Amino acid sequence: MYSLDLREYAELFTAYTELRAQENRNVRITFVRGNNTHNSRTSTSGISARVYSNGSWGFASNPEITEDALKLAIEAATDNALFLDSRERKGKGQLPVATASSVNDYSTRKPRLGQMELLEFARELDNHIALKYPELASRITGINCLDMEKTLLTSDGSYSHSMVPRSFIYVVLSLVKDGVPTELSNVYGGFGQFEDVFTSPSQLFDGIETQYEHLVRKSQGVFPDAGLKTCVLDAELAGILAHEAIGHTTEADIVMSGSVASGKVGEEVASPLVTLIDFANSYGGETCPVPIYVDDEGTKAEDAVIIENGILKGYMHNKESARHLGVLPTGNARAYQFSDEPLIRMRNTAILPGTDRLDDMIASIDDGYYLIRPSNGQADSTSEFMFGVTLGYEIKNGKIGRAIRDTTISGVAFDMLKTVTMVSPDMKWLSSGMCGKKQPIPVGMGGPAIKCKVTIGGR
Amino acid sequence: MQDPKQVARYGLDALLEAGADKAECSLTLTDKHELNVELGEFALMRTTFDTQVDLTAIRDNKKGSTSINKSNNDSLDRAVADVLGIAAASSPDDAYDIAEAQPPAAFSSGSDSPDVDRMHSRMKEMLESIKVRYPKLVLREAYLDFTRTRNYFLNSNGVDFVTNKGVYTLVAMFSSRDGEKVSSFNYTAFSLKDLERDLLSCGSLDMLMQQSTEQINTRPLEGKFVGDIIITPDCLGDMLHFLSYSIGDGPMISGTSIYKDKLDEQIASPLLTMHSRPVSDEICNGYFVTPDGYAAQNGTILQDGVLKTFLLSLYGSRKTGLDRAVTSGGAFVVDPGHTPLEEMVKSVKKGVLLARFSGGSPSDNGDISGVAKNSYLIEDGEIRYPISESMISGNVADMLMNVAAVSRERVDYGFSICPWVAVSGVTISGK
Repeated sequence: MYSLDLREYAELFTAYTELRAQENRNVRITFVRGNNTHNSRTSTSGISARVYSNGSWGFASNPEITEDALKLAIEAATDNALFLDSRERKGKGQLPVATASSVNDYSTRKPRLGQMELLEFARELDNHIALKYPELASRITGINCLDMEKTLLTSDGSYSHSMVPRSFIYVVLSLVKDGVPTELSNVYGGFGQFEDVFTSPSQLFDGIETQYEHLVRKSQGVFPDAGLKTCVLDAELAGILAHEAIGHTTEADIVMSGSVASGKVGEEVASPLVTLIDFANSYGGETCPVPIYVDDEGTKAEDAVIIENGILKGYMHNKESARHLGVLPTGNARAYQFSDEPLIRMRNTAILPGTDRLDDMIASIDDGYYLIRPSNGQADSTSEFMFGVTLGYEIKNGKIGRAIRDTTISGVAFDMLKTVTMVSPDMKWLSSGMCGKKQPIPVGMGGPAIKCKVTIGGR
Repeated sequence: MQDPKQVARYGLDALLEAGADKAECSLTLTDKHELNVELGEFALMRTTFDTQVDLTAIRDNKKGSTSINKSNNDSLDRAVADVLGIAAASSPDDAYDIAEAQPPAAFSSGSDSPDVDRMHSRMKEMLESIKVRYPKLVLREAYLDFTRTRNYFLNSNGVDFVTNKGVYTLVAMFSSRDGEKVSSFNYTAFSLKDLERDLLSCGSLDMLMQQSTEQINTRPLEGKFVGDIIITPDCLGDMLHFLSYSIGDGPMISGTSIYKDKLDEQIASPLLTMHSRPVSDEICNGYFVTPDGYAAQNGTILQDGVLKTFLLSLYGSRKTGLDRAVTSGGAFVVDPGHTPLEEMVKSVKKGVLLARFSGGSPSDNGDISGVAKNSYLIEDGEIRYPISESMISGNVADMLMNVAAVSRERVDYGFSICPWVAVSGVTISGK
């Protein structure tokens, strides 16, 4: 990616400094109804420095990765920190020292596919959909790949290099019934470069068949009956619940701004069936979707146990919040682009599996909903959350009923988690979305299916 | 760095020399100076410089594009080779094209450089005012930036545009706390061409902060009813976004837009007139050149509720056979109505003042549901109390038709100007 060895420039540091070189590489291909509407590759790279002075931070970045640009970035970041310090005089002490090193390169060892091969892959998949499902009013087939490569050096002596890739194929299918369009999308893929994730278009055919069957039922779907309902949230919804509803309220900067989780460590906030962890890099012996070994402040990334058997155990930290609250940093400081400063971000946040079978969970509900696929989500400082739901079914007398139209569910997380009565033993990771908090960032969200009470929107 | 215009010219010439039939090169240089506040204190000063080169080539009706953030000749040469390779891999499409020749033009707005001391003093003044006026408010994060953007857009038909824009933008996110009770967070943003006014008086910031302190104590709504909602200017964007998305390239090309056959038809209440005005004096954070290389113009999207244009790009226009829009959307200006906000509230029997909508994206047919955040119950013409755990369900297309009033008052965000809009017949459900 770049030839500079950052370690040769440590002597330029005059205060606590983080020096980072980074490149984000993106491939985007889209076919809309067979039209190749997007076909591009982008690369964004550069160097940044962040400097700390008595509680004030300075940051600067430059798109060139050269010795001159590096020196300029360190100088400008130092000047910025001194400018703020000279006016604010916060007089805060040193940050905790956290020294770590790692090299984690998840580049594929297979020959790389060029744009021609990737386009052909997407085109073949799109042709399959067009031929197999002629009833579709429209379809979108696309490829989206992101490689994030970072090298970090800190004045504490931390050094790390990482290349974390993710690759997705997204398929959006649309039917029009009685003039009303109905759409259902799904994302396939996850952690790894394209060649390690996908072998051939036919690998997705079964998944697309299931997606189409759901779409047909959804096109005949009904509006949910609005109100508080007993629901089974399938794994993808449990994952977004872990991230949005709990995760955000336990990021230490949000806690310090007064989130509902503030001051509740040691208190019961959920059913004893609920354990929730923000994993740094691996779970159950397998690599998580967004493996972080050393964060962008140079701290060794540790698993952050948020809820254990229903009891709130702790928060996610960077160095500054850890010092403020008198705990150890957890390695949650992450930046998206070379020109972004590290913020407290989740990594791989998951509710851990239980022992109840999904079939038994559905059979135990007389009147409720089985909710399968989320769209977007948002949480609040009050722990009130909402998620869009694009795929779900009624449950009537313990059996799956009619499909429902797009809806939204909501609740207050610390109340809703106390209504969890069953948790399934399977675990599914969702990693295609971007979490937004000043900057976007890739995150992993995981979970089993859970039975609980939530408010559902409808008519 | 060499002369930016020469860099863009080098990129364009290299694309043509490499065999492109038609080509575009856009060079954007961005300097950002940003002051960040966390938890009510200055935390970070950030200075970033970035370069973006967007290259597009069409050869034998096949198109490819790439973006890099380096502008030296070696990087451009590699990117040019890439983009021709990407184009060769694509499927031929007669609709691929570039903007036709237009007179060369240079556009500019705002300052060339930030007044950093003024940025600091305005932020400090805002922090001190908040402490005095809203002592329970927690300013979770706020950042004031000055961003200067210089763009050089050239294409092989002779398009030659230079844009120089400088603008200040404030983003603030906050909640309020009293003991263990905490309000929902809220946020807003606005852009300014200069720092002549105190920040708290700009956009809707002061109003939202005052509301935030009221929202520490909320009550859930009881039951379910069909009522009226008054959508605040901060929240109106969700409704406008559905419309602008639905008349844009994606749904129009795929044929799933519910408005695809509705040009010059009534798709909203006659009370609603809405424009996209990227080059208007009233918009300080607009744009001068569309992404496909046309000099942007102001356009009217809804005139008295009648759809006057789709928001199609050159490609979308050629795919659908419909006219290209003179604007690429955004910079929305909604005309004021004749009803004072106070009277709008008085006319509501039972409903909600919807100040923030936290919900799933609308489906293609406009169905929408979500949580009414930072919102208030209205009963018998009076704002009663802030609510929580309450959901709104409806259909955005129906809501546009069911606009019952548009306020005389508007909020100016610098990137859009919006009034309050009253809508009838929305399902509101509580616990």
